[in-house]
Amino acid sequence: MFLDPDSKLAQRLNPILFLLPALSIYIVFAIYPTYSVLEYSFTDWDGINPERNFVGLENYQKLFSDKIFWEAFRNTFVWSGVIIVINVGLGLVIAAMLARVWKARLLIQTCIVLPVVISPMAVATIWRWMYQPTGVINQVLEKIGLGAFATPWLGSPDAVLYALAFAHSWSTIGLSVIIFLAGLQAVDEDLYEAARVDGANPLQSFRYVTLPALRPVTAVVFILTLTQSFKVFDIVWATTQGGPIRFSEILSTYMYKRGALENQYGYGSAIGVALLVIVSIATIIYMQIQNRQDR
Amino acid sequence: MNNFVRISAVATTIAVLPALVYAQSEVVVWVAGEPGQTNVYDDLAATYNAQNSDVTISVVKNSSDLFNPALIPALSAGEGPDLFSFGTGPGQPAALIAGGLVADLTDAYFENDWGSTIPEGIVVQTSSDGKLWAFGNEVETTGMFYNKAIFAENGIEVPTTWAEMEAAVATLQGAGFNTPIGLGAADKWPISHWQSMMFGRYAGPEGIENVLFGDGAWTDAPFVAASAKLQEMGQAGWFGSTPVAIGYGELMDRFWAGEVPMTFTGPWVIGGGAEAAGDRIDDFSVFAFPPFEDGQRIHPTNSIGSGWYIRESSENKEAAIDFMNYMFASQDGRVALLNAGTVPVGPLEEALSEAQMPALAVDIWKTSDDYAANGSVPAFLDTITPGSLTTVSYDGLQALLLDVMTPEVFTAEMQSAWAAAKEAGEIMLPGGIAER
Repeated sequence: MFLDPDSKLAQRLNPILFLLPALSIYIVFAIYPTYSVLEYSFTDWDGINPERNFVGLENYQKLFSDKIFWEAFRNTFVWSGVIIVINVGLGLVIAAMLARVWKARLLIQTCIVLPVVISPMAVATIWRWMYQPTGVINQVLEKIGLGAFATPWLGSPDAVLYALAFAHSWSTIGLSVIIFLAGLQAVDEDLYEAARVDGANPLQSFRYVTLPALRPVTAVVFILTLTQSFKVFDIVWATTQGGPIRFSEILSTYMYKRGALENQYGYGSAIGVALLVIVSIATIIYMQIQNRQDR
Repeated sequence: MNNFVRISAVATTIAVLPALVYAQSEVVVWVAGEPGQTNVYDDLAATYNAQNSDVTISVVKNSSDLFNPALIPALSAGEGPDLFSFGTGPGQPAALIAGGLVADLTDAYFENDWGSTIPEGIVVQTSSDGKLWAFGNEVETTGMFYNKAIFAENGIEVPTTWAEMEAAVATLQGAGFNTPIGLGAADKWPISHWQSMMFGRYAGPEGIENVLFGDGAWTDAPFVAASAKLQEMGQAGWFGSTPVAIGYGELMDRFWAGEVPMTFTGPWVIGGGAEAAGDRIDDFSVFAFPPFEDGQRIHPTNSIGSGWYIRESSENKEAAIDFMNYMFASQDGRVALLNAGTVPVGPLEEALSEAQMPALAVDIWKTSDDYAANGSVPAFLDTITPGSLTTVSYDGLQALLLDVMTPEVFTAEMQSAWAAAKEAGEIMLPGGIAER
């Protein structure tokens, strides 16, 4: 009736059985929706009418001639670039400094991580308020004699994307710091000791010991940050809705406008698929570079 | 014998209880609106539930931004609300109707004598192919809200001509008000209130109808002129130096705090304003924006805020219709709406005799009534045109204010989106319902 637990078949089935609950959830909530989006992207579905017609590659052809798509595409890259620089670069520096701090370390760590648990809509509301022309940021700049840098953050075509990327980084950098900190704890202290004996200063220790030791962790943080930044929607939508005009339009907000607000689910799905492909390519390229360096 | 009675009573209760539970039908109502602005529907549901033990009305409120994206997938899945508020006019509901997602209310119209409540002009906006699809309600208007105290301090009278308006703005700028007229343009949609009013002023009701239901185009001269005037006002700093950086909520906070002397908005702000301004609420009033050009007429902006639709697959259509009757046709419902500053459609004399409308609401409706004879224009073009046109308009209006787009290009982009929507059949052609 039952399989012998020591049999070869049971040994093979065991891991599958253990994986099955999580795999089922993953298939239902990740694989199937992704497949559906891919399927919709080949149709003219309006999201309402039960009828949808197969239109082949029409939606993808439209993408290439859609100047707003390319504006959003460019903005998304700038947006992700800024966030990667802050979350990976600054995150690593903060983590390295925190690793050497013993007094009040827990308090500082908590302060940095706290924004991670705040709802994105709340983050958007806070920053929207701070970025108003009469908001706290401009007031502080005026008070400390840097009034020349005060700007209408959310209304400035030049500043808005960077301002929102900074706000997003503020709310997510804590996660990078925690991952880097965990990685730093795994670095052998003997390596630092050897570097000191060889006469390395702290900067050289960081360059020749910390950075190489953290390469796998950096890859994880990079990919996490990249995927998170590409799929961001809430903070942009709740602050500017992609404005002024389209200066903060990123692919996710454009996808939402076309799909949900203009009832072009087919075309919106094509934008979603494009987003998926872009993230996948960027991730593969980064992994290839990492692997080559490791070799 | 006693045991028999006891056991019978318990058995009967157990048998009947599920039936009682099932007999009570739940009508789920979705309402779009910002927090605090739709509380009246909670009150109406509570009163209705207390009077009707067999029906439970459950009101679900969602912000305007998120309402449609939540509603449409729910309806498409055959679920979602039994009764819901949604846009009207030629653009918005066309896809819902074509998809068979909303119920035909024509029978309800005749059975419940809705004709005595809903004016014909509103039936036209909520019907197509001779069928009524929604109970149009919540008459909305827009007007120039101003701070009487600031006007008095600076010796400004309510402007009635363009020259007086220019003088008032100049005086306020001279008195240190960098933003004489507040405009929360970061949110995009508040600019469309100006657009709707100015398009209406320059083109008149016939000009607007000619585009919506005829062969007119958004590139026609009046719309270009209106766009140019809006841009000119922006360039002259009437809305401050950076209106596109300011959110609507933040702007209204500044208005009620007395930092901004004027703002162009509608009666939905009155409830929140009374809370924000407290005793100073009497410092505020409303006037009709003066004509922009010599010889131009003032056309009040009147729209229905929404239409109330019933889901086609709802099993509680009768109960939903009964709740609509209570809200919009009964004296109790109409008085409750008026007290909350929401104006129901139809004759108001009876309800007004019992209602206690806020003074500001009376002021804004007076400005509308004063010019009613000139013919009204839509207050919210963005709620009656397709989403694709709304996106183009919103972005274009910000571009006008930022001075990076010409009025000609703006109206050409609008027309292009409008023509594409027309070609794609996204525009419903309303026309009233057949007499019986």
